[in-house]
Amino acid sequence: MEGVVVLLNCFVSPFGNRVRIALKFKGVAYEEKAENLAAKSPLLLSSNPVHAKVPVLIVDGKPVCESLVILEFIDDGFSAAGAPPLLPADPYARAHARFWASYVDTKLNEAGMRVWRSPKGATAAVEAARKDTVAALKTLEAELGGKPYFGGDALGYVDVALVPFAPWFLTYERFGGFTVAAECPALAAWADRCVRENTCVAESLPEAEHVFQFVCGMRKAFGLD
Amino acid sequence: MEKKSSENATPPVAAPLKLFGSWASSYTHRVQLALRLKGLEFEYVEEDLGNKSDELLRHNPVHKKVPVLVHGGRALPESVIILQYLDDAWPETRPLLPADAFDRALARFWCHFADDKLGPAVGAVFASTGEDQEAAVRQVHENLALLEVELRDGAFRGRRFFGGDEVGLLDVVLGCGSYWLAVFEDVTGVRLVDADAFPRFNAWLRDFEALDEVRETIPAVDRLLEYARGLRHMLLGLAGANAAAPSADAPTTAAAAPSAAAADIAVDI
Repeated sequence: MEGVVVLLNCFVSPFGNRVRIALKFKGVAYEEKAENLAAKSPLLLSSNPVHAKVPVLIVDGKPVCESLVILEFIDDGFSAAGAPPLLPADPYARAHARFWASYVDTKLNEAGMRVWRSPKGATAAVEAARKDTVAALKTLEAELGGKPYFGGDALGYVDVALVPFAPWFLTYERFGGFTVAAECPALAAWADRCVRENTCVAESLPEAEHVFQFVCGMRKAFGLD
Repeated sequence: MEKKSSENATPPVAAPLKLFGSWASSYTHRVQLALRLKGLEFEYVEEDLGNKSDELLRHNPVHKKVPVLVHGGRALPESVIILQYLDDAWPETRPLLPADAFDRALARFWCHFADDKLGPAVGAVFASTGEDQEAAVRQVHENLALLEVELRDGAFRGRRFFGGDEVGLLDVVLGCGSYWLAVFEDVTGVRLVDADAFPRFNAWLRDFEALDEVRETIPAVDRLLEYARGLRHMLLGLAGANAAAPSADAPTTAAAAPSAAAADIAVDI
């Protein structure tokens, strides 16, 4: 695939950071443009008219939207020698990987958002969200099993889909009143391993404290405190 | 080739295919249609969604939903994932996804749109009344307008089907569900897919529904109408409404929790 590669992202976005990791994993040179989600750029609005969301990957002027769609696009389009695949070759293993990546979006992200987005004092809602978040994390931990990575011996599609949520664990923990280390020690260890053993991950993820500060700022802006 | 993890290896293509589904589920129809388009034989098991079989729950412990395709003992849940599996496992036979990376991304993007935006909006129209319903109808119209623009001027302009001259992944995903639009219009009395406002979408839907494999797959409209009337009656808790009593053939989901039935089957396109 030829052409200039541009990523529209917001530094805390787990969806955008999936794309950062994948591009670095494949050794693709790209330019990142930081979006202010309270004042979206004309480029973002014209590249993603349907949702006006990050991430958007623009390759030679053509936009691709939705993080998991972008990951598959990167795998389809940047498979030059030396750039390993994110998805496995085996059809059943691919389906398995797609299933778990989708699970991160529909179950973990959905519950996690409810943990930090609930207005102050909504204890019942937060408690329910905490339960659902921990359940999703435990399910993911069970799927990891004894493997070093969801992809097996090395980082794969599911790892890239999930690890950008690791910087959000601190935020879930502080608002939800639990710790990932206590509830899911193997998953916590996996997150550390991803960062320690993979430069593409270490270079792509924000500090957990920065995510927390960002969320606190958002809560104030939306009058949730 | 060394098998790293035998639990994750694809069975031989000749291994038997067994589909667990529900007759009124558009997600199930997607898989039935794709199997027919690929010329693949399969055994079909009708699930009672109010009383799911142990076998289904064993094959889809995470979501406990239909459809699930079992290929040589390996279970595949989630309709869009199943469709892509069929392409990956039978790449020579009538591909559902195009070859070009951008075109594939577009097809996948609009499949997400169908399931995350259009489907829930249509479901909301069906499950509500009054002002809530009006808001949901506006949402549906906005979503259909986006598709109409793509068909008229955008990524899909000049095409008979989203997949080109032949149906592809997006046609199967959007098509298996779009037949509910006319059914819901009839049951709710609300105009959803005006042929004047959405001429290309209507033309596409008409061509899609005329295909032999599609006619084999989508249930007869009077069964869909009866089912929808019963479901709406239940969802709205209307007393003495003019709804037909479910026949002996209809799934016993009439007795199941309304929201569970709606989520499982047809209210989401």
